[in-house]
Amino acid sequence: MSGGGIARGRLAEERKSWRKNHPHGFVAKPDNAQDGSLDLMVWKCIIPGKPGTDWEGGFFPLTLHFSEDYPSKPPKCKFPQGFFHPNVYPSGTVCLSILNEDYGWRPAITVKQILVGIQDLLDQPNPSDPAQTDGYQLFVQDPTEYRRRVRQQAKQYPPTL
Amino acid sequence: MGGGKVTDDAVMNFAVTGKDHHFLVDADLEEEFSVSFRCSVCLDLLYKPIVLSCGHISCFWCVHKSMSGLRESNCPICRHPYNHFPTICQMLHFLLFKLYPIVYTRREEQTLEEEMETGLFSPQFGYKECNSDLQHHHPRDRKHALDSCFFRNGEFCASTQQIESVKSVSMIQAPTMSIPNKVRDENCCMIKPGSVEESNLPEDKSNRNCKQVSIADVQCSTCKQLLFHPVVLNCGHVYCETCIGPVNEMLTCQVCQSLHPRGFPKVCLEFDHFLEEYFPTEYAMRKEAVQAKQVPVKFQHPITCSTKASEKSFQSSLVTTRENLSWRADPPSKVHVGFGCDSCGVFPIVGDRYKCKDCVEEIGFDLCGDCYNTCSKRPGRFNQQHTSEHKFELVKPNIIHNIMLRLVTGQLDSASAFANHDDASGISENESPAPILSSDAQDISRNSSASAATNPDSAEDENETQTTR
Repeated sequence: MSGGGIARGRLAEERKSWRKNHPHGFVAKPDNAQDGSLDLMVWKCIIPGKPGTDWEGGFFPLTLHFSEDYPSKPPKCKFPQGFFHPNVYPSGTVCLSILNEDYGWRPAITVKQILVGIQDLLDQPNPSDPAQTDGYQLFVQDPTEYRRRVRQQAKQYPPTL
Repeated sequence: MGGGKVTDDAVMNFAVTGKDHHFLVDADLEEEFSVSFRCSVCLDLLYKPIVLSCGHISCFWCVHKSMSGLRESNCPICRHPYNHFPTICQMLHFLLFKLYPIVYTRREEQTLEEEMETGLFSPQFGYKECNSDLQHHHPRDRKHALDSCFFRNGEFCASTQQIESVKSVSMIQAPTMSIPNKVRDENCCMIKPGSVEESNLPEDKSNRNCKQVSIADVQCSTCKQLLFHPVVLNCGHVYCETCIGPVNEMLTCQVCQSLHPRGFPKVCLEFDHFLEEYFPTEYAMRKEAVQAKQVPVKFQHPITCSTKASEKSFQSSLVTTRENLSWRADPPSKVHVGFGCDSCGVFPIVGDRYKCKDCVEEIGFDLCGDCYNTCSKRPGRFNQQHTSEHKFELVKPNIIHNIMLRLVTGQLDSASAFANHDDASGISENESPAPILSSDAQDISRNSSASAATNPDSAEDENETQTTR
């Protein structure tokens, strides 16, 4: 009952479907390996902050790490270390129900859905499941300061051309 | 109901006007297939499709790989829980081959190649006529027969060399994609095992007929009419929803007499939509006929599994199904982690497990207690060469191994999953024996995660998970 390489085939299809059509402002592409070839198992993505929210104007870099067990197991999604958000661990790892193998993950969830899901999470944090103290305490105790920090962070990640 | 043959024009119209159908073009081979028949797991054309009891379809290997060897599994599309690995739906298998011969053949070659690498094989299909013929054949003819019907190499075909020869045949055809006439012809009659008329068609017509799907390919095993609201049982046989209900106890397949575990299956919507588009007139007639009959209220609306509905039912089923499974109370003593029953498909086996002493395949051949006692004669799920002369031995679950495994994977799961614990946490924590044995358990999981994880972050995240709990 060994794994076998479904992961790469699926990721190749994900790549095809992304190139055909993807949500505006988002970027998702396999990383370049050291020898210059594409590394399908690591994707570099950019999530735009939703217009009309404090996150607007920010283009947040996110890395997806896929394992050989993908899509049975979800990819690990990481913002830069120290990213400010109640549901992001200090390491940058995103804590989201659909990315939890035991709870919300389904192999049918596509890269597109993951990225859009994380964009939604940015402006709708889940205070019942905090992953960092900084973001969580400000969100609960000092909404004004929380919003200031969010807007400040958005400025830190301007669009890359 | 008229002849049930689809003319070339109708096929064309279908392709052009099919409203809800988006077509995907296979870049290399340029054959379009409907997005309805795309597997949500591999995102490719379904190959050896399996229909789960929630009505969702996925490939044989995609379903198998998404199953859990430790506990119940969840549908890769809607997370509907299930315990049995269903048998491939042969009707859909042959339908897809007929609809998209080029892409499907490509999928066959691709899968066979992967199977050669892993040494695990999916079931190879044959028909009774084919098999019985072959049994009487001289070994030399047998090889020839195998070549001539590579697509349905029967259950006899399991050894690597035999697969090799099958493969070489497919590969030879790959560059030109011209399947020899003889094979095509045989495929034609093979697709419709019940009908004789097709095989009597003149040679020159057989090519065209191969590409057409007729109602005989998609008829209900009970009413022998065009399927309406098709449901697929655990054994892979297909019925109209109205032809198997109402049910009082367990469903039994009328074709193969096997029991269908766990309630009434839901309509396979993708298949139903296909039928409605492909046979609009016949489908409308069937719809009228079914509605005209005094149908029990239960069947007025198809039982389907839209995602929203399933979210709800998933929530409730989380509680109910888990309570129903008695083994959950005392899992380590009864579960055979990673071993499934080759007859009913239950995975993992809970309770008695009988292991075949004579099957040589790496994957082995196992039966659960119930199937052993009913002397099941079904072939293995992975193309094993099991025969009724083989002897079984009773295997006890490895309790220590199970406890260790559950501890380790329980811990690793929480480490790799960064969960939204709000709803799930109560359940999962109660189930996991980890909190009770915490110090030992953490030692074990640390060691294993250190050796398993290449990413240094996972240890950190594990600590994070534990601190936030």
